[in-house]
Amino acid sequence: MKAKTLAVAALIAATATTWAAGETATTTAETEAPSVSVADGLEAWSRIYEVASHPRCSNCHVGESGIPMWSGPSYGKTRPHGMNIAAGESRIGAEFVTCATCHTRSTQGNTVAHAAPRVDMDWQLAPAQADWFGRTSQEICSQLRDPERNGGRTAQDIAEHLDHDLILHWAWDPGGGREPAPYSLQEHIADVMAWGMAGMPCPNG
Amino acid sequence: MQIMVNGTTHEVDVEEDMPLLWVLRDELGITGPKYGCGIAQCGACTVHVDGVAVRSCQLAAGDVDGEVTTIEGLGTPDALHAVQEAWIEHQVAQCGYCQSGQIMAAASFLETNPEPTDDDIDRAMSANLCRCGTYPRIREAVRSAATKLMEA
Repeated sequence: MKAKTLAVAALIAATATTWAAGETATTTAETEAPSVSVADGLEAWSRIYEVASHPRCSNCHVGESGIPMWSGPSYGKTRPHGMNIAAGESRIGAEFVTCATCHTRSTQGNTVAHAAPRVDMDWQLAPAQADWFGRTSQEICSQLRDPERNGGRTAQDIAEHLDHDLILHWAWDPGGGREPAPYSLQEHIADVMAWGMAGMPCPNG
Repeated sequence: MQIMVNGTTHEVDVEEDMPLLWVLRDELGITGPKYGCGIAQCGACTVHVDGVAVRSCQLAAGDVDGEVTTIEGLGTPDALHAVQEAWIEHQVAQCGYCQSGQIMAAASFLETNPEPTDDDIDRAMSANLCRCGTYPRIREAVRSAATKLMEA
């Protein structure tokens, strides 16, 4: 990771985020207004896409179906979440079975293989607009930089969102024999900020 | 630690990571919730925490944040919960191993979705396995209970 090319401070004290066991502090603070070339921004994007398309992220980044997926090395063949689960329009399963019925709220980490992953917040799907499962790099990039479809966020806002959402933190420390998302949370945040400073370039412009 | 179950506060001396199901069954002798799979795939251990269905095999004792209700506390023999009444009316149970989890799941489901379609019922109750295959009767009972609760 070309962290040295990214003008993102890694030295600021941790924010007020609640950290799960084993987590380390991250920061989204900028040092000064730097410039990041489009080429470096596209390199950062390619790493962001590796993260966004990884099963730890994409399995719960599904569209309006509200049906999470089971995919990746620990699941064998790709298939919808077992038990006929759908999170509904609420995205938390309120219409059927709440995600939190099985994905309980805990600070105790994840050690048991095949048990439902848990963090210290209620489990939920990403918004339907952030429909990443099976999508191309261009499709995800276009969504993520479109304020109409990304919750009105700047790249800085996206980085801060990453800093504060414990379900996202879980992707890098999933436990239970699950493969973590690539790179690290801090590297991913740095990539998002670099991509933003480069003007949020996408592969096809 | 202290834990409130079915209206009674209990002092239990257990590890923080002991599953609630173990606390209920082995420490408190409350055996309505059943052990099936231990990994949230069968629903036999379902209880309520503050009225919401939770798989007690997945909830650590140290993470319990609210009042626990098991099948023993859902209704009484003289005043059954509408779902329990419907279970008897439709003679749902065959072997009965899954039914406390089924009933607790259904009671919680009807709190948040009081007028479910059959598809909603199937979707919600699919997370509770019945090895006897009583699913058609489960659907009928949940539909009946929904009607009763709406009329109440």
